[in-house]
Amino acid sequence: MDFIPTTDADKQYMLNQIGVKSVDDLIQILKPRLQDKLDLSRPLSELELVNQLRFLSQKNKLLKYFIGAGSYNHYIPAAVAHLILRGEFLTGYTPYQPEMSQGTLHAMYEFQTYICILTGMDVSNGSLYDGSSALAEAALLSSSYKGRNSIFVSKGLNPEYFKVLKTYCEGAGLIITNVLNEDTACVIAQNPDFYGNIENLQYLSEQAHKTGALFIVCVIEPTSLAILEPPGNYGADIVVGEGQSFGLPMNFGGPYLGFIAVKNFLFKKIPGRICGMTTDINGNKGFVLTFQAREQHIRREKATSNITTNVALMAIASTIYLSLMGRTGLVSVAESSYSRAHYLRDKLESVGLTSLNTKPFYNEFIMQAPFGTSKRILSNLLGNGILGGYDLGEDKMLICCTEMNPIKDITSFVSITKETIT
Amino acid sequence: MKLIFEYNENDSQHISSIQDLDDNENNNVERLGKYIPVGLPNGLLRKELPLPNVSEPTVVRHYTNISHLNYGIDMGFYPLGSCTMKYNPRVNEDIARLDGFQNLHPLSHEDCNQGSLQLMWELEQDLKTITGMDAFSLQPAAGAQAELLGVMMAKAYFRREHQKQRTKIIIPDSAHGTNPATASMCRFKTITIPSDTRGNLDIYKFGQALQDDVALVMLTNPNTLGLFEENILEISDLAHKNGTLMYCDGANMNAMLGITKPADQGFDLIHLNLHKTFSTPHGGGGPGAGTLGVRTFLKDYLPLPRVIKNDGKYVFDYTQRKSIGTMRFCYGNFGMLVRAYSYIKSWGNNIRNVSKNAILNANYLLSLLKNDFEVPYDRSCAHEFVLSSKRFGDKSAMYISKRLMDYGFHPPTIYFPLIVREALMIEPTETESKETLVKFASALKCIAQEFKEKPDFVKGSPYTRHIGRLDEVAAARKPNLRWTPPIHPD
Repeated sequence: MDFIPTTDADKQYMLNQIGVKSVDDLIQILKPRLQDKLDLSRPLSELELVNQLRFLSQKNKLLKYFIGAGSYNHYIPAAVAHLILRGEFLTGYTPYQPEMSQGTLHAMYEFQTYICILTGMDVSNGSLYDGSSALAEAALLSSSYKGRNSIFVSKGLNPEYFKVLKTYCEGAGLIITNVLNEDTACVIAQNPDFYGNIENLQYLSEQAHKTGALFIVCVIEPTSLAILEPPGNYGADIVVGEGQSFGLPMNFGGPYLGFIAVKNFLFKKIPGRICGMTTDINGNKGFVLTFQAREQHIRREKATSNITTNVALMAIASTIYLSLMGRTGLVSVAESSYSRAHYLRDKLESVGLTSLNTKPFYNEFIMQAPFGTSKRILSNLLGNGILGGYDLGEDKMLICCTEMNPIKDITSFVSITKETIT
Repeated sequence: MKLIFEYNENDSQHISSIQDLDDNENNNVERLGKYIPVGLPNGLLRKELPLPNVSEPTVVRHYTNISHLNYGIDMGFYPLGSCTMKYNPRVNEDIARLDGFQNLHPLSHEDCNQGSLQLMWELEQDLKTITGMDAFSLQPAAGAQAELLGVMMAKAYFRREHQKQRTKIIIPDSAHGTNPATASMCRFKTITIPSDTRGNLDIYKFGQALQDDVALVMLTNPNTLGLFEENILEISDLAHKNGTLMYCDGANMNAMLGITKPADQGFDLIHLNLHKTFSTPHGGGGPGAGTLGVRTFLKDYLPLPRVIKNDGKYVFDYTQRKSIGTMRFCYGNFGMLVRAYSYIKSWGNNIRNVSKNAILNANYLLSLLKNDFEVPYDRSCAHEFVLSSKRFGDKSAMYISKRLMDYGFHPPTIYFPLIVREALMIEPTETESKETLVKFASALKCIAQEFKEKPDFVKGSPYTRHIGRLDEVAAARKPNLRWTPPIHPD
């Protein structure tokens, strides 16, 4: 299983051709040299490898997930994996040579289109690492575009995203504040927010623009965009977010899919790859990477970002997911997620929990358990194979539903909760 | 080829893929039905969603056909320098898709995550062994993000050491563009040091540039010319005497596995590209993973959480107060970590053979081509080498790369590193056969001949791909970056 096709005879022939006795002659200038083999375990056959790793994977315990908080359990149609496992998509490189990469580029163009339509924006790029770093890049972009150093963050941003934003801002010398003034480069709001609330952001958008700041909306559960007003329609200059809900497994946190979409006036400032349509010398339509002068391999220290490798295959997977689900499929995912969440919320209220959302919510909501009971509730749920939500402390739980939570599990959740409280 | 938006279908059967028939019983559908979000207040509801509705057979056919327009390692040779386009083992795809790994929510209880936490911990140990570093972060999603992390950590370190005057980063003139781009993102200035006649960093000019305002030196070893830095020990010695840290861009680690450890060369930080050296698939531009290794004195600055072992149990540790923060939501590209872990476990302590064969293949291919192209530096190469096609004139590297497509090969990296005119950077990797190397060399020799006899013909290539030479100028002049739905008159 070493995947080295050259035989001993080949190697001898090659060494003779080069004019050396052994490979050691080629690496003699390398210092300092290791005298012994690396202290790693012995090599494994494919059979041994699969057995060991299957055993390791079985030390994990999968649960019935009633949790979101940045990562969502949606159904992924079987065809997605089959298509992205095709060697043509899986083993290709970044499409710098477009004549060899029309497959990747065609899918990228479709991805960019899907993101624009869903967010209501003009231009999207081909992907960033994940939603949190996409948000950070948008903040850096705003600061550079406006020549200002202050970032306003609306409360309701996922706390992990806030930490990432803070890390990037510290590196770049930007400050995060809750003051809106003439030094504010951008105003950031998450929608639906961390607590599930669907916000009317028209007012905030106007306030941002009044001070000359850019308005950034961050969408972490984008299946919501199937039924909610797109941010492009309420004043967003930049929309960033996480595409994991579109056909990517939860995968213990990654690889995920960051996206960024902007209004036309900003497109030359965005980081990452952009695919554009053009023609070849015979007039046939084709695709190329374009506006590469923004990127590190050309602009170097003046580049809009240092990003190179992004998550192209995840973008292709999402494109395929969106194509397989279609408009009606995507709307039904959203309606199913929304209705199950509201059904569970009502049932939990009826057994003694308090609903804390003051605004309409999408598929996540906070419940307040009676004093001192939330830890026991979550622990009893866990004992029954249910991850009942994200523990916010002070007996508050952030709970999520999707089309993957059947009524019978919702019913178990409620009855276990009821038993625990009484 | 049509866009997915241009099919004239209106299949509405997709909802069946997410229906749960149990829920259709006992009036459950009615119960849920009353929650369908019609009329959310304040105009929060979307008015229209102009997405296509295409049947599954059509979708599968569509993406299968466009995949045929792509070239990949599975089709043939992909000699891109510094990209390490080696075979992507399929068993790693199966392992990454094991239910227990793929379908685990990241915020699950630690007791339920022991398999994945153990994998991350063991991977960190193996990367430490391979590089000699004392700790690794598995968080960065790519080499560039790891560089960003490393530079941020260096900045935080110097701030704590009361050395805020260190505002500059030294890079060689052969550096990859991400190095200066990263420096800028952290508000550092770059000082560029030229290479000498042997292709090494000019150690005299380097010494001169080493003032007390230099925070970091970012080097690639072997460098982007495919050459080992002959003076690396002197360079790191000089840097350390000046209180400057040494950063290794580990993109070229495929030349050093089991042969030398970057820590022994004097590096304080190193990033490894798991999608290069450690075989995870490129996927047309990612996902990858750019793990960052550091020496002990920098360990406390690593992003949180860290995976630690406590009495045989694996846990996430969030306590380190000197940490620079976190680079992403959750822990990193776990799916890619699984693939790299699997690759390292399969090679085990024989992993030196990867690098030895990579170096052998590169030197053999170089020996076949050294009389047909200019070789800028008269030395054995590491796992890759740079040729110049300048004898064929301006833009010849571009024309040669397009003509190579007609011979069934993906071109090498061109116009990089910047210090070689008409550069062709070639990295065969260890997973190529002697036959392939010979065929590739013959193709280049043929094209060299064609260039002499019929240069205009070469300049018009490619002729045998699905598409001819694409007009990149027009793409920028008349941007068309998305399809737009036709406006429906209301």
